[in-house]
Amino acid sequence: MKVEKLLYIDRRIIYLLVAIGALIPIIRPIGLPVVPTSPVKGLFDKIEGLGPDDAVMISFDYGPSSEPELNPMAAAILRHLFIRRIRVIVVAIFPLGGVSMAIQEVGRVSKEFDLEYGVDFVNLGYKDGGQAPMKAMGVSIQDVFPADVDGRPTRDMPLIQEVKNYEDIDVVISLATGVIGEWWANLINAQFGVDVAVGCTAVSAPKYYAYLRSGQMIGLLGGLKGASEYEKLLIDRYPKARELYARPDEAKRSAMTGMDVQSIVHIIIIAFIIFGNTMYFILRRSQRR
Amino acid sequence: MKRTLPLFLTFVVGMFPIFAFFVPHRAVSNLNQQLDTWLVIVAAFALPLGVVNLVGSNIDKIKRKQRGWPYSVVLIAGLCIMAFYGIVGGEQGFHPYFQYMFVNMVSPLQATMFSLLAFYVASAAYRAFRARNIEATVLLAAAIIVMMGRIPFGDMLTGGKMTPISEWIMTKPNAAAQRGIIIGAALGAASMQIRVILGIERTYLGKGQE
Repeated sequence: MKVEKLLYIDRRIIYLLVAIGALIPIIRPIGLPVVPTSPVKGLFDKIEGLGPDDAVMISFDYGPSSEPELNPMAAAILRHLFIRRIRVIVVAIFPLGGVSMAIQEVGRVSKEFDLEYGVDFVNLGYKDGGQAPMKAMGVSIQDVFPADVDGRPTRDMPLIQEVKNYEDIDVVISLATGVIGEWWANLINAQFGVDVAVGCTAVSAPKYYAYLRSGQMIGLLGGLKGASEYEKLLIDRYPKARELYARPDEAKRSAMTGMDVQSIVHIIIIAFIIFGNTMYFILRRSQRR
Repeated sequence: MKRTLPLFLTFVVGMFPIFAFFVPHRAVSNLNQQLDTWLVIVAAFALPLGVVNLVGSNIDKIKRKQRGWPYSVVLIAGLCIMAFYGIVGGEQGFHPYFQYMFVNMVSPLQATMFSLLAFYVASAAYRAFRARNIEATVLLAAAIIVMMGRIPFGDMLTGGKMTPISEWIMTKPNAAAQRGIIIGAALGAASMQIRVILGIERTYLGKGQE
Protein backbone atom coordinates (compact mmCIF):
# COMPACT_ATOMS: atom_id res chain seq x y z
CA MET A 1 0.00 0.00 0.00
CA LYS A 2 2.84 2.33 0.94
CA VAL A 3 4.62 1.49 -2.34
CA GLU A 4 1.44 2.15 -4.31
CA LYS A 5 1.13 5.55 -2.64
CA LEU A 6 4.68 6.40 -3.65
CA LEU A 7 4.05 5.19 -7.19
CA TYR A 8 1.13 7.61 -7.54
CA ILE A 9 2.82 10.49 -5.71
CA ASP A 10 1.00 13.85 -5.88
CA ARG A 11 2.25 15.68 -8.97
CA ARG A 12 2.48 18.93 -7.01
CA ILE A 13 5.39 17.43 -5.06
CA ILE A 14 7.17 16.77 -8.37
CA TYR A 15 6.43 20.33 -9.53
CA LEU A 16 7.76 21.73 -6.24
CA LEU A 17 11.01 19.76 -6.46
CA VAL A 18 11.54 20.83 -10.10
CA ALA A 19 10.88 24.47 -9.11
CA ILE A 20 13.39 24.28 -6.24
CA GLY A 21 15.90 22.57 -8.54
CA ALA A 22 15.51 25.33 -11.10
CA LEU A 23 15.67 28.16 -8.56
CA ILE A 24 18.80 27.17 -6.62
CA PRO A 25 21.30 27.50 -9.52
CA ILE A 26 19.68 30.80 -10.55
CA ILE A 27 20.23 32.24 -7.05
CA ARG A 28 23.62 30.59 -6.57
CA PRO A 29 25.30 29.56 -9.87
CA ILE A 30 27.35 26.35 -9.69
CA GLY A 31 29.56 26.87 -12.76
CA LEU A 32 29.66 23.29 -14.01
CA PRO A 33 32.33 22.50 -16.63
CA VAL A 34 31.30 22.38 -20.31
CA VAL A 35 32.97 20.07 -22.85
CA PRO A 36 32.52 21.06 -26.54
CA THR A 37 31.36 18.30 -28.91
CA SER A 38 32.18 17.81 -32.61
CA PRO A 39 28.85 19.09 -34.08
CA VAL A 40 29.43 22.44 -32.32
CA LYS A 41 33.13 22.51 -33.20
CA GLY A 42 32.11 21.98 -36.85
CA LEU A 43 30.50 25.42 -37.04
CA PHE A 44 33.08 27.11 -34.80
CA ASP A 45 35.98 25.85 -36.94
CA LYS A 46 34.22 26.88 -40.14
CA ILE A 47 33.85 30.45 -38.85
CA GLU A 48 37.45 30.40 -37.65
CA GLY A 49 38.45 29.77 -41.27
CA LEU A 50 36.60 32.89 -42.52
CA GLY A 51 37.78 36.48 -42.63
CA PRO A 52 36.64 40.07 -43.36
CA ASP A 53 36.09 39.34 -47.07
CA ASP A 54 33.59 36.59 -46.28
CA ALA A 55 29.89 36.82 -45.56
CA VAL A 56 27.56 34.78 -43.38
CA MET A 57 23.77 34.77 -43.41
CA ILE A 58 21.93 34.23 -40.13
CA SER A 59 18.27 33.36 -40.31
CA PHE A 60 16.22 33.97 -37.16
CA ASP A 61 13.69 31.18 -37.48
CA TYR A 62 12.36 31.11 -33.94
CA GLY A 63 9.99 32.94 -31.65
CA PRO A 64 9.77 33.78 -27.94
CA SER A 65 8.86 30.20 -26.98
CA SER A 66 12.41 29.08 -27.92
CA GLU A 67 14.08 32.29 -26.74
CA PRO A 68 15.81 30.85 -23.62
CA GLU A 69 17.61 28.22 -25.70
CA LEU A 70 18.25 30.09 -28.93
CA ASN A 71 19.01 33.66 -27.80
CA PRO A 72 22.32 32.65 -26.13
CA MET A 73 23.20 30.79 -29.35
CA ALA A 74 22.44 33.84 -31.48
CA ALA A 75 24.50 36.09 -29.20
CA ALA A 76 27.51 33.72 -29.17
CA ILE A 77 27.53 33.24 -32.96
CA LEU A 78 27.07 36.96 -33.64
CA ARG A 79 29.92 37.80 -31.25
CA HIS A 80 32.17 35.28 -32.97
CA LEU A 81 31.37 36.76 -36.40
CA PHE A 82 31.78 40.36 -35.25
CA ILE A 83 35.07 39.63 -33.45
CA ARG A 84 36.41 38.13 -36.68
CA ARG A 85 34.99 41.08 -38.69
CA ILE A 86 32.99 38.74 -40.91
CA ARG A 87 30.12 40.45 -42.71
CA VAL A 88 26.68 39.38 -41.50
CA ILE A 89 23.31 39.39 -43.28
CA VAL A 90 20.36 38.80 -40.96
CA VAL A 91 16.99 37.58 -42.20
CA ALA A 92 13.89 36.10 -40.52
CA ILE A 93 11.68 33.42 -42.06
CA PHE A 94 9.71 32.38 -38.95
CA PRO A 95 6.44 34.34 -38.79
CA LEU A 96 5.76 34.27 -35.04
CA GLY A 97 8.38 36.71 -33.82
CA GLY A 98 11.53 35.82 -35.77
CA VAL A 99 12.10 39.42 -36.78
CA SER A 100 11.59 40.71 -33.23
CA MET A 101 14.15 38.21 -31.96
CA ALA A 102 16.55 39.42 -34.68
CA ILE A 103 16.04 43.09 -33.80
CA GLN A 104 16.56 42.35 -30.10
CA GLU A 105 19.70 40.19 -30.40
CA VAL A 106 21.41 41.90 -33.36
CA GLY A 107 20.67 45.31 -31.84
CA ARG A 108 22.13 44.32 -28.47
CA VAL A 109 25.23 42.45 -29.68
CA SER A 110 26.18 44.85 -32.50
CA LYS A 111 26.48 47.70 -29.97
CA GLU A 112 29.37 45.84 -28.30
CA PHE A 113 31.50 46.32 -31.44
CA ASP A 114 32.57 49.19 -33.65
CA LEU A 115 30.51 48.29 -36.72
CA GLU A 116 28.99 50.16 -39.62
CA TYR A 117 25.42 49.27 -40.54
CA GLY A 118 25.01 48.32 -44.21
CA VAL A 119 28.73 47.63 -44.52
CA ASP A 120 29.58 45.17 -41.73
CA PHE A 121 26.08 43.88 -41.08
CA VAL A 122 22.50 44.36 -42.13
CA ASN A 123 19.15 43.25 -40.76
CA LEU A 124 16.81 42.59 -43.69
CA GLY A 125 13.81 41.68 -41.54
CA TYR A 126 11.02 39.19 -42.19
CA LYS A 127 9.79 37.77 -45.46
CA ASP A 128 6.64 35.67 -45.65
CA GLY A 129 6.38 32.51 -47.73
CA GLY A 130 8.83 30.09 -46.09
CA GLN A 131 10.66 28.18 -48.82
CA ALA A 132 9.74 30.69 -51.52
CA PRO A 133 11.96 33.61 -50.34
CA MET A 134 14.67 31.14 -49.30
CA LYS A 135 14.84 29.79 -52.84
CA ALA A 136 14.49 33.22 -54.46
CA MET A 137 17.53 34.52 -52.52
CA GLY A 138 19.57 32.07 -54.59
CA VAL A 139 19.01 34.46 -57.50
CA SER A 140 18.98 37.84 -55.79
CA ILE A 141 18.86 38.80 -52.12
CA GLN A 142 18.09 42.38 -53.09
CA ASP A 143 15.01 41.34 -55.09
CA VAL A 144 13.61 39.44 -52.12
CA PHE A 145 14.47 42.21 -49.64
CA PRO A 146 14.26 45.55 -51.48
CA ALA A 147 14.16 47.24 -48.05
CA ASP A 148 15.74 46.40 -44.70
CA VAL A 149 13.97 45.99 -41.38
CA ASP A 150 13.54 49.78 -41.00
CA GLY A 151 12.37 50.28 -44.57
CA ARG A 152 15.68 51.63 -45.89
CA PRO A 153 16.37 50.62 -49.52
CA THR A 154 18.94 47.82 -49.67
CA ARG A 155 20.20 48.76 -53.15
CA ASP A 156 22.19 51.61 -51.55
CA MET A 157 23.93 49.33 -49.04
CA PRO A 158 27.50 48.27 -49.92
CA LEU A 159 27.01 44.89 -48.25
CA ILE A 160 23.98 43.99 -50.38
CA GLN A 161 25.68 45.38 -53.51
CA GLU A 162 28.59 42.98 -52.94
CA VAL A 163 26.70 39.96 -51.60
CA LYS A 164 24.20 39.28 -54.35
CA ASN A 165 23.06 35.71 -53.69
CA TYR A 166 24.15 32.43 -52.07
CA GLU A 167 27.23 32.31 -54.31
CA ASP A 168 28.67 35.18 -52.26
CA ILE A 169 27.74 33.64 -48.91
CA ASP A 170 30.07 31.23 -47.10
CA VAL A 171 27.70 29.82 -44.49
CA VAL A 172 24.00 30.07 -43.76
CA ILE A 173 23.18 29.63 -40.07
CA SER A 174 19.58 28.96 -39.21
CA LEU A 175 18.52 29.41 -35.60
CA ALA A 176 15.42 27.36 -35.89
CA THR A 177 12.39 26.05 -34.18
CA GLY A 178 10.19 23.62 -36.10
CA VAL A 179 10.88 22.67 -39.68
CA ILE A 180 12.62 25.76 -41.12
CA GLY A 181 16.13 24.55 -40.24
CA GLU A 182 15.45 21.41 -42.28
CA TRP A 183 14.48 23.53 -45.30
CA TRP A 184 17.85 25.28 -45.20
CA ALA A 185 19.60 21.89 -45.18
CA ASN A 186 17.50 19.99 -47.70
CA LEU A 187 16.62 22.85 -50.04
CA ILE A 188 19.34 25.52 -49.91
CA ASN A 189 22.32 23.24 -49.29
CA ALA A 190 21.11 20.67 -51.81
CA GLN A 191 20.21 23.13 -54.58
CA PHE A 192 22.77 25.90 -54.11
CA GLY A 193 25.64 24.04 -52.41
CA VAL A 194 26.08 26.67 -49.69
CA ASP A 195 27.25 25.37 -46.29
CA VAL A 196 24.45 25.23 -43.74
CA ALA A 197 24.58 25.01 -39.94
CA VAL A 198 21.59 24.84 -37.63
CA GLY A 199 21.09 25.92 -34.05
CA CYS A 200 17.90 24.39 -32.69
CA THR A 201 16.05 23.55 -29.50
CA ALA A 202 17.19 20.37 -27.72
CA VAL A 203 13.91 18.66 -28.55
CA SER A 204 14.47 19.16 -32.32
CA ALA A 205 18.16 18.20 -32.31
CA PRO A 206 17.80 14.43 -32.97
CA LYS A 207 16.30 14.91 -36.45
CA TYR A 208 19.19 17.17 -37.53
CA TYR A 209 21.80 14.46 -36.89
CA ALA A 210 20.66 12.75 -40.11
CA TYR A 211 21.51 15.92 -42.10
CA LEU A 212 24.77 16.34 -40.21
CA ARG A 213 25.85 12.76 -40.95
CA SER A 214 24.96 13.07 -44.63
CA GLY A 215 27.11 16.20 -44.97
CA GLN A 216 24.15 18.51 -45.68
CA MET A 217 25.06 20.44 -42.55
CA ILE A 218 28.51 21.46 -41.33
CA GLY A 219 27.52 22.06 -37.72
CA LEU A 220 24.75 21.63 -35.20
CA LEU A 221 24.07 23.42 -31.94
CA GLY A 222 21.46 21.47 -30.01
CA GLY A 223 19.65 23.37 -27.28
CA LEU A 224 21.20 25.13 -24.35
CA LYS A 225 24.07 22.63 -24.26
CA GLY A 226 25.05 23.49 -27.83
CA ALA A 227 24.94 27.19 -26.97
CA SER A 228 27.04 26.70 -23.83
CA GLU A 229 29.63 24.69 -25.80
CA TYR A 230 29.87 27.51 -28.35
CA GLU A 231 30.29 30.07 -25.56
CA LYS A 232 33.04 27.93 -24.02
CA LEU A 233 34.92 27.71 -27.35
CA LEU A 234 34.54 31.46 -27.83
CA ILE A 235 35.66 32.38 -24.32
CA ASP A 236 38.69 30.08 -24.52
CA ARG A 237 39.75 31.53 -27.88
CA TYR A 238 39.06 35.28 -27.55
CA PRO A 239 39.87 37.56 -24.57
CA LYS A 240 37.24 40.03 -25.85
CA ALA A 241 34.57 37.32 -25.50
CA ARG A 242 35.85 36.50 -22.00
CA GLU A 243 35.40 40.18 -21.07
CA LEU A 244 31.89 40.29 -22.49
CA TYR A 245 30.69 37.15 -20.71
CA ALA A 246 32.26 38.31 -17.44
CA ARG A 247 29.83 41.25 -17.29
CA PRO A 248 27.12 40.45 -14.68
CA ASP A 249 24.21 41.12 -17.08
CA GLU A 250 25.74 38.88 -19.76
CA ALA A 251 26.71 36.18 -17.28
CA LYS A 252 23.05 35.98 -16.25
CA ARG A 253 21.94 35.60 -19.88
CA SER A 254 24.64 33.11 -20.84
CA ALA A 255 23.92 29.49 -21.74
CA MET A 256 26.63 28.31 -19.33
CA THR A 257 24.60 29.72 -16.44
CA GLY A 258 21.47 28.14 -17.90
CA MET A 259 23.25 24.80 -18.04
CA ASP A 260 23.41 24.74 -14.24
CA VAL A 261 19.60 24.90 -14.12
CA GLN A 262 19.26 22.29 -16.87
CA SER A 263 21.70 19.97 -15.10
CA ILE A 264 19.83 20.05 -11.80
CA VAL A 265 16.42 19.58 -13.46
CA HIS A 266 17.74 16.67 -15.57
CA ILE A 267 19.10 15.03 -12.42
CA ILE A 268 15.71 15.45 -10.71
CA ILE A 269 13.88 13.94 -13.70
CA ILE A 270 16.32 11.00 -13.90
CA ALA A 271 15.99 10.45 -10.15
CA PHE A 272 12.21 10.39 -10.48
CA ILE A 273 12.38 7.91 -13.39
CA ILE A 274 14.67 5.57 -11.42
CA PHE A 275 12.57 5.95 -8.28
CA GLY A 276 9.33 5.34 -10.20
CA ASN A 277 10.72 2.20 -11.83
CA THR A 278 12.03 0.87 -8.51
CA MET A 279 8.59 1.32 -6.94
CA TYR A 280 6.99 -0.28 -10.01
CA PHE A 281 9.17 -3.41 -9.71
CA ILE A 282 8.67 -3.68 -5.95
CA LEU A 283 4.91 -3.45 -6.43
CA ARG A 284 4.95 -6.01 -9.28
CA ARG A 285 6.97 -8.47 -7.21
CA SER A 286 4.64 -8.13 -4.20
CA GLN A 287 1.58 -8.59 -6.45
CA ARG A 288 3.09 -11.81 -7.90
CA ARG A 289 3.61 -13.19 -4.41
CA MET B 1 -13.79 25.66 -67.13
CA LYS B 2 -14.09 26.21 -63.36
CA ARG B 3 -12.30 22.92 -62.79
CA THR B 4 -10.20 22.57 -65.95
CA LEU B 5 -8.38 25.92 -65.68
CA PRO B 6 -7.06 25.35 -62.11
CA LEU B 7 -6.02 21.81 -63.04
CA PHE B 8 -4.23 23.07 -66.15
CA LEU B 9 -2.48 25.87 -64.22
CA THR B 10 -1.41 23.42 -61.50
CA PHE B 11 0.00 21.06 -64.11
CA VAL B 12 1.98 23.78 -65.93
CA VAL B 13 3.27 25.50 -62.77
CA GLY B 14 4.10 22.15 -61.17
CA MET B 15 5.88 20.69 -64.19
CA PHE B 16 7.87 23.77 -65.17
CA PRO B 17 10.37 23.78 -62.23
CA ILE B 18 11.02 20.06 -62.87
CA PHE B 19 11.61 20.84 -66.56
CA ALA B 20 13.85 23.80 -65.65
CA PHE B 21 15.92 21.62 -63.35
CA PHE B 22 16.91 19.39 -66.29
CA VAL B 23 17.11 22.09 -68.99
CA PRO B 24 19.73 24.70 -68.03
CA HIS B 25 18.85 27.08 -70.91
CA ARG B 26 18.92 30.81 -70.07
CA ALA B 27 15.32 31.46 -71.19
CA VAL B 28 14.00 28.53 -69.17
CA SER B 29 16.07 29.53 -66.16
CA ASN B 30 14.85 33.16 -66.35
CA LEU B 31 11.23 32.08 -66.48
CA ASN B 32 11.80 29.72 -63.57
CA GLN B 33 13.30 32.57 -61.54
CA GLN B 34 10.24 34.64 -62.37
CA LEU B 35 8.06 31.82 -61.06
CA ASP B 36 10.04 31.82 -57.79
CA THR B 37 9.39 35.57 -57.41
CA TRP B 38 5.67 35.03 -58.02
CA LEU B 39 5.73 32.23 -55.46
CA VAL B 40 6.83 34.71 -52.75
CA ILE B 41 3.85 36.93 -53.61
CA VAL B 42 1.35 34.06 -53.87
CA ALA B 43 2.60 32.54 -50.59
CA ALA B 44 2.01 35.89 -48.84
CA PHE B 45 -1.70 35.57 -49.65
CA ALA B 46 -1.90 32.55 -47.34
CA LEU B 47 -1.55 34.95 -44.40
CA PRO B 48 -4.74 37.03 -44.96
CA LEU B 49 -6.53 33.79 -45.82
CA GLY B 50 -5.58 32.43 -42.40
CA VAL B 51 -6.65 35.65 -40.69
CA VAL B 52 -10.07 35.61 -42.40
CA ASN B 53 -10.57 31.99 -41.39
CA LEU B 54 -9.50 32.62 -37.77
CA VAL B 55 -11.69 35.72 -37.38
CA GLY B 56 -14.67 34.00 -39.04
CA SER B 57 -14.57 30.92 -36.81
CA ASN B 58 -14.09 32.98 -33.63
CA ILE B 59 -16.89 35.44 -34.44
CA ASP B 60 -19.12 32.43 -35.01
CA LYS B 61 -18.09 31.09 -31.58
CA ILE B 62 -18.93 34.42 -29.92
CA LYS B 63 -22.30 34.66 -31.68
CA ARG B 64 -23.28 31.17 -30.53
CA LYS B 65 -21.89 31.82 -27.03
CA GLN B 66 -20.04 28.54 -27.21
CA ARG B 67 -17.91 27.33 -24.28
CA GLY B 68 -14.87 29.57 -23.82
CA TRP B 69 -16.26 32.37 -26.05
CA PRO B 70 -14.65 35.16 -23.95
CA TYR B 71 -11.25 33.81 -25.06
CA SER B 72 -12.34 34.38 -28.66
CA VAL B 73 -13.07 38.04 -27.78
CA VAL B 74 -9.54 38.36 -26.33
CA LEU B 75 -8.10 36.69 -29.43
CA ILE B 76 -9.89 39.02 -31.87
CA ALA B 77 -9.08 42.10 -29.77
CA GLY B 78 -5.42 41.08 -29.60
CA LEU B 79 -5.31 40.41 -33.32
CA CYS B 80 -6.92 43.76 -34.19
CA ILE B 81 -4.73 45.81 -31.83
CA MET B 82 -1.48 44.15 -32.90
CA ALA B 83 -2.46 44.34 -36.58
CA PHE B 84 -3.39 48.03 -36.24
CA TYR B 85 -0.03 49.02 -34.77
CA GLY B 86 1.69 46.69 -37.20
CA ILE B 87 0.06 48.36 -40.20
CA VAL B 88 0.53 51.96 -39.04
CA GLY B 89 4.12 51.24 -38.01
CA GLY B 90 5.61 51.01 -41.49
CA GLU B 91 6.76 48.27 -43.82
CA GLN B 92 8.05 45.87 -41.17
CA GLY B 93 5.51 46.94 -38.57
CA PHE B 94 7.61 48.33 -35.75
CA HIS B 95 5.51 50.99 -34.17
CA PRO B 96 6.84 51.47 -30.60
CA TYR B 97 3.55 50.11 -29.17
CA PHE B 98 3.77 47.02 -31.40
CA GLN B 99 7.28 46.23 -30.16
CA TYR B 100 6.22 47.08 -26.57
CA MET B 101 3.32 44.59 -26.72
CA PHE B 102 5.52 41.96 -28.33
CA VAL B 103 8.33 42.26 -25.78
CA ASN B 104 6.13 42.66 -22.69
CA MET B 105 3.11 40.50 -23.52
CA VAL B 106 3.65 38.00 -26.35
CA SER B 107 7.20 37.12 -25.37
CA PRO B 108 6.62 36.41 -21.62
CA LEU B 109 3.38 34.54 -22.36
CA GLN B 110 5.02 32.22 -24.87
CA ALA B 111 8.11 31.75 -22.69
CA THR B 112 5.85 30.84 -19.74
CA MET B 113 3.93 28.29 -21.79
CA PHE B 114 7.17 26.67 -22.91
CA SER B 115 8.73 26.76 -19.43
CA LEU B 116 5.77 24.85 -17.99
CA LEU B 117 6.85 21.89 -20.13
CA ALA B 118 9.71 21.16 -17.70
CA PHE B 119 7.17 20.49 -14.94
CA TYR B 120 4.87 18.40 -17.12
CA VAL B 121 7.79 16.41 -18.55
CA ALA B 122 9.05 15.62 -15.03
CA SER B 123 5.61 14.47 -13.92
CA ALA B 124 4.91 12.50 -17.12
CA ALA B 125 8.36 10.84 -17.05
CA TYR B 126 7.76 9.70 -13.48
CA ARG B 127 4.34 8.25 -14.27
CA ALA B 128 4.77 6.81 -17.76
CA PHE B 129 8.44 5.92 -18.25
CA ARG B 130 8.36 2.30 -17.06
CA ALA B 131 10.60 -0.63 -18.04
CA ARG B 132 7.56 -2.81 -18.79
CA ASN B 133 9.21 -4.84 -21.59
CA ILE B 134 12.52 -5.11 -23.49
CA GLU B 135 11.70 -2.33 -25.99
CA ALA B 136 10.66 0.06 -23.22
CA THR B 137 13.80 -0.82 -21.24
CA VAL B 138 16.07 -0.07 -24.24
CA LEU B 139 14.26 3.25 -24.76
CA LEU B 140 14.53 4.07 -21.08
CA ALA B 141 18.27 3.28 -20.95
CA ALA B 142 18.94 5.33 -24.10
CA ALA B 143 16.92 8.26 -22.72
CA ILE B 144 18.80 8.27 -19.42
CA ILE B 145 22.19 8.08 -21.18
CA VAL B 146 21.28 10.93 -23.56
CA MET B 147 19.91 13.02 -20.70
CA MET B 148 23.08 12.45 -18.70
CA GLY B 149 25.14 13.20 -21.78
CA ARG B 150 23.42 16.58 -22.12
CA ILE B 151 24.63 17.75 -18.69
CA PRO B 152 28.12 18.16 -17.20
CA PHE B 153 27.19 15.87 -14.28
CA GLY B 154 27.18 12.88 -16.63
CA ASP B 155 30.85 13.32 -17.51
CA MET B 156 31.78 14.14 -13.92
CA LEU B 157 30.26 10.88 -12.70
CA THR B 158 31.74 8.67 -15.46
CA GLY B 159 35.12 10.30 -16.02
CA GLY B 160 34.17 11.89 -19.35
CA LYS B 161 32.58 8.78 -20.89
CA MET B 162 28.96 9.91 -20.97
CA THR B 163 29.23 12.56 -23.71
CA PRO B 164 30.91 10.18 -26.26
CA ILE B 165 28.32 7.45 -25.54
CA SER B 166 25.48 9.95 -25.84
CA GLU B 167 26.94 11.35 -29.09
CA TRP B 168 27.25 7.79 -30.44
CA ILE B 169 23.54 7.18 -29.76
CA MET B 170 22.67 10.44 -31.51
CA THR B 171 24.94 10.01 -34.53
CA LYS B 172 24.41 6.27 -35.15
CA PRO B 173 21.09 4.66 -34.09
CA ASN B 174 19.23 7.97 -33.84
CA ALA B 175 20.52 9.31 -37.18
CA ALA B 176 19.68 5.99 -38.88
CA ALA B 177 16.11 6.05 -37.58
CA GLN B 178 15.69 9.75 -38.39
CA ARG B 179 16.98 9.14 -41.92
CA GLY B 180 14.34 6.45 -42.42
CA ILE B 181 11.61 8.80 -41.21
CA ILE B 182 12.87 11.68 -43.39
CA ILE B 183 13.14 9.52 -46.54
CA GLY B 184 9.70 8.04 -45.90
CA ALA B 185 8.14 11.47 -45.42
CA ALA B 186 9.93 12.83 -48.51
CA LEU B 187 8.69 9.95 -50.66
CA GLY B 188 5.17 10.52 -49.34
CA ALA B 189 5.38 14.24 -50.11
CA ALA B 190 6.77 13.56 -53.61
CA SER B 191 4.00 11.10 -54.42
CA MET B 192 1.40 13.59 -53.15
CA GLN B 193 2.92 16.33 -55.34
CA ILE B 194 2.80 14.05 -58.41
CA ARG B 195 -0.86 13.30 -57.64
CA VAL B 196 -1.62 17.05 -57.40
CA ILE B 197 0.33 17.92 -60.58
CA LEU B 198 -1.38 15.15 -62.58
CA GLY B 199 -4.79 16.15 -61.25
CA ILE B 200 -5.42 12.88 -59.40
CA GLU B 201 -5.60 14.66 -56.04
CA ARG B 202 -8.17 17.45 -56.34
CA THR B 203 -9.29 18.20 -52.78
CA TYR B 204 -7.56 21.60 -52.94
CA LEU B 205 -10.21 22.69 -55.46
CA GLY B 206 -12.80 22.73 -52.70
CA LYS B 207 -16.04 20.91 -52.00
CA GLY B 208 -17.97 19.70 -55.02
CA GLN B 209 -15.06 20.31 -57.42
CA GLU B 210 -13.13 17.08 -56.75
